[in-house]
Amino acid sequence: MYSSEFDGASLFSGGGFMPSQATQFNDSGFSPAKSRANQCTLQLTVKQISDADQASDDKSNFIIDGVDVNSVTLVGMVTNKVEKITDVNFTLDDGTGRIDIHRWVNDAAESNQLADVTNGIYVRVTGQLKGFQGKKQIVAFSVKPVTDFNEIAYHFIECMYVHLYNVKLQQISGSVHPQTVPGMSNSFQNGPMGHQTPISNKFPGYLVDAGSDFDQMVLTIFHEPENLAKESGVHVDTIVERLGVPRNKVMASINYHTDNGNIYSTIDDYHYKSTING
Amino acid sequence: MDTSSPAVLVNAELLKMYVGKRVRAVVMVMRIDGGSIIGQSTDGHQLTIKGSQPFPLSTFIEVIGIADTNQSIRAEICTDFGDKIDTSTYDRVCQLANGEFKSLFV
Repeated sequence: MYSSEFDGASLFSGGGFMPSQATQFNDSGFSPAKSRANQCTLQLTVKQISDADQASDDKSNFIIDGVDVNSVTLVGMVTNKVEKITDVNFTLDDGTGRIDIHRWVNDAAESNQLADVTNGIYVRVTGQLKGFQGKKQIVAFSVKPVTDFNEIAYHFIECMYVHLYNVKLQQISGSVHPQTVPGMSNSFQNGPMGHQTPISNKFPGYLVDAGSDFDQMVLTIFHEPENLAKESGVHVDTIVERLGVPRNKVMASINYHTDNGNIYSTIDDYHYKSTING
Repeated sequence: MDTSSPAVLVNAELLKMYVGKRVRAVVMVMRIDGGSIIGQSTDGHQLTIKGSQPFPLSTFIEVIGIADTNQSIRAEICTDFGDKIDTSTYDRVCQLANGEFKSLFV
C-alpha cells in the first residue's frame, strides 16, 4: 500500500500539482474516473459507517442508506494519536463509536497542521472511507480542529438531513413502478374512450375509436377515398347494400359514429361524411 | 471500528434513561461546589458533574462520563466549549438523537 501511494504522490508532484491536491488524487487510488463519479461527501456518524454494508470485497465500496459511499466527513474527538514520519494515525470518537483515521503526510506544512491535532480535541475529518484488512478506516485528506463547538451539533443535524434525504430518495425511486402501474391501468379501465377520442382527432384514420367490429366496417366505408371525395358523403342505403345488414343496424352505427365525431350528416338525414378530411 | 461504548447525547430529561451508562451532555457552569461542578443542562435543569477539574463560571463544558443518578454525571472527559453555545439547538439534537434518528447514534 505504501509503495503504490508513494508512486502516485511522486507522479503528481512531479507534474507540478500542489501537494495537497496530489494527496487527494492518490487517495482515490488508481480508478479516478470511478471515484470522481461520486465525489459527493456524506456527513456520517461512526455508527452509520459501522452499520454500512460492504458491497464487495473491493476496497472502497460501501453502501449507506442505499448510496455508494466514498468521501465522508465526521466530527469527533481525537484519541490514541500516533505520529510517524510519513503518516499520522489516530482514533476518532464521535460519541457513537470509534474509527481509525489515517493521514499521509507529504510535506512540512501538512505535518505542522497535524501537530495542532492532539488527543482530546475535537476535529472535523474529511476523507475516503476504505476497507483495509477487514477493518473500516478513513484515509483523510483534511483534519481540521473544531473551533466553534456548535459545529458538533451542526454536524449531527447534517447527518440526520443526509440520512433523511437519501432514505426518501430511495423510497421515491423504489416505489416508482408499483405506483405508476396501477395508476396507468386505472386510467385505461376508467376511460378507454376518453383516452382514445382525443387521439382520433389528432391522428385521423384507423386510430379512431371505431367501437365494435361492425362499427369499424361502417367507418371503413366512409374512409374509402371515393367516399371521402364526395361532397355529400355516403347515403345510408349504400351502406345497407354494401354490408347486407338491416337498415336500423346501420343507422345505430351511424348514430354512434356521429356521437363520437367520426362522421357528420350532410345534405339530409341520410347522407353522412367522414370528419377525417375536414 | 468500535461502537460498543457509545456516549449518548443527553439533556437532563434524557439522562434519567441512561443511569449507569455512558453519556455526554453540555452544561453551563453555574458554581463549583467542593469537587463538583453544578451546571445547567441544555433543557434548563440543574446537573451535578462529579470528578471534573474546575472551569470558569458561565462557560459551557461538554461532559463525557457515566450517568451516576438522575441528576449527576461522573465525568471522564470534560471539554471547554467556550461561551457561545446555542443550547436550544443542542437540546433539539439530543432529542432527535434519542428519538426519530436513534439508529444513527446508538
